[in-house]
Amino acid sequence: MRPTLGSTKVGQRWLLGACVVAVVTILSACGGDKQKKTDGADFARLDAFPSTYKADEASPVLIRGATLLTGTGEQLNNTDVLLEGGKIAAIGEGLKAPKKGMVVEGAGKWVTPGIIDVHSHLGNYPAPSIESSQDGNEMTAPNTAQVWAEHSVWTQDPQFSLALAGGVTTLQILPGSANLFGGRGVTLKNVPGRSVQDMKFPGAPYGLKMACGENPKRVYGGKGSLPSTRMGNVAGYRQAWIDASSYRDKWDKYHENGGEEPDRDLKMETLAGVLNGDILVHNHCYRGEEMAIMMDVAKEFGFQVSTFHHAVEAYKVADLLAENNVCAAMWADWWGFKHEAFDMTEANIAIVDQAKACAMIHSDSAIGIQHLNEETAKAMAAGQRAGFHIEPRHAAVWMTMNPAKALGIADVTGSLEKGKMADVVVWSGDPFSVYSKAEKVFIDGNLMYDRHNPERQPHSDFELGILGAEGVRLPEGGER
Amino acid sequence: MKANQLVKMGALVSLMVAAPLALAETLLIKDARIVTLSDQGTLEMADILVKDGQVAQIAEDLGSLTADLVIDGRGKVVTPGIIAPDSELGLTEIGAAAATNDSAIEDTSIGAGFNPVVAFNPHSTLIPFNRAGGITRAVVVPSSQQKIFAGQGFAVKLTGDFDSVTDRALVQKIYFGEYGAELAGGSRARAYEQIESALSQAKEYADNRDAIRRGEWRDLDFSVADLEALQPLLTGEQPLLVSANRASDMLQLLALANQFDLNLIVEGAAEGWMVAEQLAAARVPVVIDAMGNSPSAFEKLGARLDNAALLQKAGVTVVIGGPGYAGSHNSYLSRQGAGNAVAYGLPFEEGVRAITANVAQVFGLEGGALAPGSVADLVLWSGDPFEVTSFAELVLIDGKPQSLENRSTRLRDRYLHPEAGTGHGYKTGNKK
Repeated sequence: MRPTLGSTKVGQRWLLGACVVAVVTILSACGGDKQKKTDGADFARLDAFPSTYKADEASPVLIRGATLLTGTGEQLNNTDVLLEGGKIAAIGEGLKAPKKGMVVEGAGKWVTPGIIDVHSHLGNYPAPSIESSQDGNEMTAPNTAQVWAEHSVWTQDPQFSLALAGGVTTLQILPGSANLFGGRGVTLKNVPGRSVQDMKFPGAPYGLKMACGENPKRVYGGKGSLPSTRMGNVAGYRQAWIDASSYRDKWDKYHENGGEEPDRDLKMETLAGVLNGDILVHNHCYRGEEMAIMMDVAKEFGFQVSTFHHAVEAYKVADLLAENNVCAAMWADWWGFKHEAFDMTEANIAIVDQAKACAMIHSDSAIGIQHLNEETAKAMAAGQRAGFHIEPRHAAVWMTMNPAKALGIADVTGSLEKGKMADVVVWSGDPFSVYSKAEKVFIDGNLMYDRHNPERQPHSDFELGILGAEGVRLPEGGER
Repeated sequence: MKANQLVKMGALVSLMVAAPLALAETLLIKDARIVTLSDQGTLEMADILVKDGQVAQIAEDLGSLTADLVIDGRGKVVTPGIIAPDSELGLTEIGAAAATNDSAIEDTSIGAGFNPVVAFNPHSTLIPFNRAGGITRAVVVPSSQQKIFAGQGFAVKLTGDFDSVTDRALVQKIYFGEYGAELAGGSRARAYEQIESALSQAKEYADNRDAIRRGEWRDLDFSVADLEALQPLLTGEQPLLVSANRASDMLQLLALANQFDLNLIVEGAAEGWMVAEQLAAARVPVVIDAMGNSPSAFEKLGARLDNAALLQKAGVTVVIGGPGYAGSHNSYLSRQGAGNAVAYGLPFEEGVRAITANVAQVFGLEGGALAPGSVADLVLWSGDPFEVTSFAELVLIDGKPQSLENRSTRLRDRYLHPEAGTGHGYKTGNKK
């Protein structure tokens, strides 16, 4: 699935930032091609808390003679990459060094697109973890589609910069999984921000977090309310989509015929935004049979699931995922912490991938997010042991391009292709070796992290004077 | 070991067979890189002969010597078997299913005297899975949500056999630091006082056992069972594993260890690098999560990836456990943790030691190093044992090749090519 190149209508819209009336083609979510184009109400409200992220003007950077894993399934040896104007300007051999700017000697180095984590709670469950900062789960009702994860993000979470040192340039912050509808997720650039808007990925579509299985039924069943069973979960989804369809119709009618403007309902706006294709469904779902049911729920109400998250049993229904154009975001090997995570196989990602569904690694962890290259390597090795022919150039897609697709941003990032955002990692060696480290991380062409230059290693406010009044959290030269 | 299991294994390791497999009593790995962690150091290309459950010989070339089972080790690496230092293997099946968990109790009448060894289940699915990941032995330790005294841990082999418990009472576990403070009622000071008082009263008990049992003594704060269980700490027969992460907490524990002459092991030690010299001087080893570099608690503000390297450099004996996020189910990921520690400055052999020999030494177990006469617990890795793309091709416990199949491989093989229909229900995913 090679992405389209260059700028498109949607790409331009992203560059411009918010648009008031959603005339949207979600093109990059797996299954995005099934999304309808709609005029009418702006349910997504991209303009409510607009991105204020603005990349600094970047000097050109030439990475010379490195090994590239492009994120499109290719490995290019001894190849140059030129970053200019915040974009990937050229990829090839013998590129000319820019007059001003930086040259990175790439001999022995590997280059990948910035890693993208489709499932993170950084800022919502920040470090240090204390009672007052548990802001990721609005556990007060089974449907809290009205809450937005971005409003819980503590931008000073020191774990953002740890993820950056692991090569992560983009991440989606999702609400937790206590609720059937947990609320909206937000896609961030992994840059220091005083406000969350300073980190918001310009124009990226919102996500809606949904959850199958044990969590919602445990949380609400425990309170003696619906849902207390998996069938209660499904009834909860369907009723909400019935309500949302009716809400959407009311607004459509208003836009067609005029009359009195309907009342806004924040919860319904998020769901209606899914129905009209502006908001992407990210569905926490472990079991194969539950994924099958959720795909039927989506059909019943005419929306598309972007991605099943955690998806420990995705391999059991990999053919159905492929058929329905739904992605699966998975761990390499986590299992057993609950019953729905019991049927784990380390070949999960590989089997989903080989069935031609869109497979990716994800973290859901402040530690895992720092090692997504290693986690991808484990999944690749498990696939090889299962007898599949999977090379690093292909496995790299699982941590770059496929999560970009899941987030609806694949046209602007996720691969090393001319015209895309210069979100690029220079690794000290093969990124699938445990010994390799992200040495330089560029976001929109700016050097946001340099392992060998402490001045280009960001520190959150929290880290100043916290462990010794005069220093940052760790002494200079310390390996964070 | 049944013959057909050996044949299956043979498919993986391309072995040459010189005698009827069912009778295999000697096993020879040829031309492998061998990390012995004994006087022989690391041999770049060598042979290792296993006989009667023990390592018989290790040499660069054992020549024409043959064995019942000969395995070509070219391009592969032999290490001692991994030992999990702080697991709940055999005490848990599914984290969130209470009926399958035996590691902690809600009964507050017993603390140090609790020992879950009789609950050990050698048929747990965690055992073959972690064995396939290269773990040959484990220290199994209880946990607690009620008291700072979790109880006694024990040791097992990962053979899955009914008789696989090797030490029924090996170590005592106590919580200090933030969690200990919470369990003790809100302050580290209270937790410290509880430990101090338990140990003092254990001494008092030892000195006045008969009078106390006759009821001719003042009331003590702990049950006889608890006080009995603390005795091996005072005599130095058992180590005391205490959780602590903040630098100042560890220093307090060193004082406690000095006061009672304890064989202390610090578990956690996220800020260990700050007090590495003191730990080294007191000869107190640490069990760490080498990947836990997040300042995820105020007691871990100094967490960093080169903690293991700095500790080792200062002379502290470092043991690396599985990453904290992974839990007992993925105990074998201590290998990935050690790999990251090596990537961040821990010397390679020290990395291997941190998941093998140091665990054995600190807890007083067999295994952990390879030398003539040592127990033949070893792993043949497909490549560099720290690369996450490498895997165990052969796992020996007491010289016996272990099955490397488990639910993960069975499910994989059942669903390798998922398709509609009922067919999957008739596939066992068994390679037989």
